[in-house]
Amino acid sequence: MDLPIDVTDCLRRWKDGDESAAEELILHLHPVISRIVRTHLPRRDHEDDIIQEILMKTFSRLHQYKGDAPISHWVSRLALTTCLDRLRAQKIRPEVRWTDLTPEESTAFDAAWLGSTSPDATDAIHARDLVDKLLSSLPPEDRSLILLVDLEGRSLEEISQSTGWGISKIKMRLFRIRAQLRKMIQNLEQRK
Amino acid sequence: MNNGNPIPQDQRWQALLTRSTPTFVGDTTLPFGFLTQTLARIKSESREREIFERIGLRSLFVAISVLIAIVGVSISVQLQSRSDFDPAVKSLLQADDVPIS
Repeated sequence: MDLPIDVTDCLRRWKDGDESAAEELILHLHPVISRIVRTHLPRRDHEDDIIQEILMKTFSRLHQYKGDAPISHWVSRLALTTCLDRLRAQKIRPEVRWTDLTPEESTAFDAAWLGSTSPDATDAIHARDLVDKLLSSLPPEDRSLILLVDLEGRSLEEISQSTGWGISKIKMRLFRIRAQLRKMIQNLEQRK
Repeated sequence: MNNGNPIPQDQRWQALLTRSTPTFVGDTTLPFGFLTQTLARIKSESREREIFERIGLRSLFVAISVLIAIVGVSISVQLQSRSDFDPAVKSLLQADDVPIS
């Protein structure tokens, strides 16, 4: 959520060497960056280090910010690019098999069904670990794309604007990702 | 085709995402010490950047000055040598009484 701060004034003050302006900007941008990092990177990645890295990049490139869009949008793009670079550096895992799951993840898999009871915090973490495991078999762009659609509920037009991809390309990609996810889940259901 | 019926695997995927939703929510408060540490890093990096920029500008200025000096010297040497014949050539020309333009 955007806190009510005067970004233009903050930027001017920061340029003049006012440290409190940087403090205000960090407080304003941290929740935005934190949400993106938490969504697009696996749970166990060094979250605070990555958030700090994104903030460093933000401050070193502040002179490039034109002010034509909210600063949170500009920083979101920077954060997503950083997350994708991070994912690209990681190896894509082969397809997940039942034997790859921990007992907690197996339970989360069985519990993830319609009509199952509402999860507590631990259940949510195990379900997340399983989601991360499934997503780790996908290329970084596909992983982010499916989360933007299924988790954040972004429209194809919004994704097209932020990525520069055509709608048909996004649809094709989503179709392929869904097919891959179905296959992985089907394999798990068959306890392969 | 599934004739519009939801595919069980898609439902399970959605259910997994729904169950894990709380883990995707970002922090609203900064971790302890994060602000101080980040500010210190930002300050030191901007200082380093300023120093590098200054060093870079100085080296660029020195390189351009050296280049201009070299170009100047070579042009002047070339102009001098064009109007001035080699002594041996000069004596040959004098011997043949060839007018020098």
